[in-house]
Amino acid sequence: MSADTVAPLNRAAIVELVRDQLAEILEKSPSDIVEDQSFEDLGADSLALIELVEALEESLSTYAAGFHIDDEDLEGLVSVRDAVNYVAVKLQVA
Amino acid sequence: MTLPIALDAMGGDFAPVEIVAGARRAVDELGLSVILVGVPELLGDPLGLEVVACSEVIAMDDEPGAAVRKKKDSSLVRAAELVRDGKASAMVSAGNTGAAMASALLRMGRLPGVLRPCIGTPIPQPGRTPTLLVDAGANAECSPEMLVQFAQMASIYVEAHYGVANPKVGLLSIGEESSKGTPLVKETHRLLSELSSLNFVGNVEGRDLVPSPVDVVVTDGFTGNVALKTLEGGLKFVFSTVLGAIGTNEKTRAAGDVLMEYLLPIASELTPDRQGGAMLLGVEGICVISHGSSNATAIMNALRVASELDQADVVAKMRATIRPDQAV
Repeated sequence: MSADTVAPLNRAAIVELVRDQLAEILEKSPSDIVEDQSFEDLGADSLALIELVEALEESLSTYAAGFHIDDEDLEGLVSVRDAVNYVAVKLQVA
Repeated sequence: MTLPIALDAMGGDFAPVEIVAGARRAVDELGLSVILVGVPELLGDPLGLEVVACSEVIAMDDEPGAAVRKKKDSSLVRAAELVRDGKASAMVSAGNTGAAMASALLRMGRLPGVLRPCIGTPIPQPGRTPTLLVDAGANAECSPEMLVQFAQMASIYVEAHYGVANPKVGLLSIGEESSKGTPLVKETHRLLSELSSLNFVGNVEGRDLVPSPVDVVVTDGFTGNVALKTLEGGLKFVFSTVLGAIGTNEKTRAAGDVLMEYLLPIASELTPDRQGGAMLLGVEGICVISHGSSNATAIMNALRVASELDQADVVAKMRATIRPDQAV
């Protein structure tokens, strides 16, 4: 799919994307995941976070070619909200 | 046609020389098909085997997740990709255990419904099939639901690989009674007791690892790794002590000459080299992780195990059993 055929990305869509992918990785229902939760509380270990990062990079490359999350930035991503905010800033989404 | 096994030629304390030698022996002695994955400039003589070239190596002390993300052209990552892409039937590595697990998980993916993959390590049992210890170190922190899945996957492994019907499952604890153990152990005991599809026989203790009354011992990765290393260290100590005693004087050496005929087969049966390696359970492919100190014999046996697991269709059997709609 080319970039000009995909729906524009807003913050709500990023929340949904992060939640869906995290739910798939952790074998939970997306409705069980809320923005305030920390990855630790959700039971996501370091490998699960890397799974999330790789899944986000793949999904978001549709919107920004070569979208990449720096490993150095991972330490700062503690909660679902952190991940959503990180992606929003990186993609300059309001 | 059977697909070749992808072997990480750069992983292990004695890589690449012992790894390549083990591959050559697997081809010559077992008739297996093996592809080496390695850096051509570092690999040396590939002994006539096919090589898939890569440019990077994940070191034993690299941080697993970061290494797999940064070293995308490493032998470990490329080996996992060969399995993912249907060009190899299995991958084998004696390299960084965490990175092997991360490579397999991130490149092959998890089986649907699997909460977390785990490491199943065969513990040799004199005179019978090995007991599988899960988790031997992949997940330091576990939930009861994870342990139940580990037990399910290990049972499938033992049944498919060793031909043990209805394998007995024991939960590692500090006493046989269901009231003994941590909250994790007690809740896992309750869940396992309710699962009719498993032959759960109750708690086992550390002393039940060898000789073991069960075919599967389930525990969290932290405890499992400590138990495994304690066992390895204990056995090594006993062997070296016996050998030391035999070498004391002329009289003990003479006795040793007689005893060796009986001791060596036991030592050979218990050596990790013979088991070949542990399998990562719960990913969409076969990943056999060998001991870092693997020699050519251990690598040959790891390749044999990988081939046997492929023939036994272990992954498909796990996929059919661990389904999202059957989540614990």
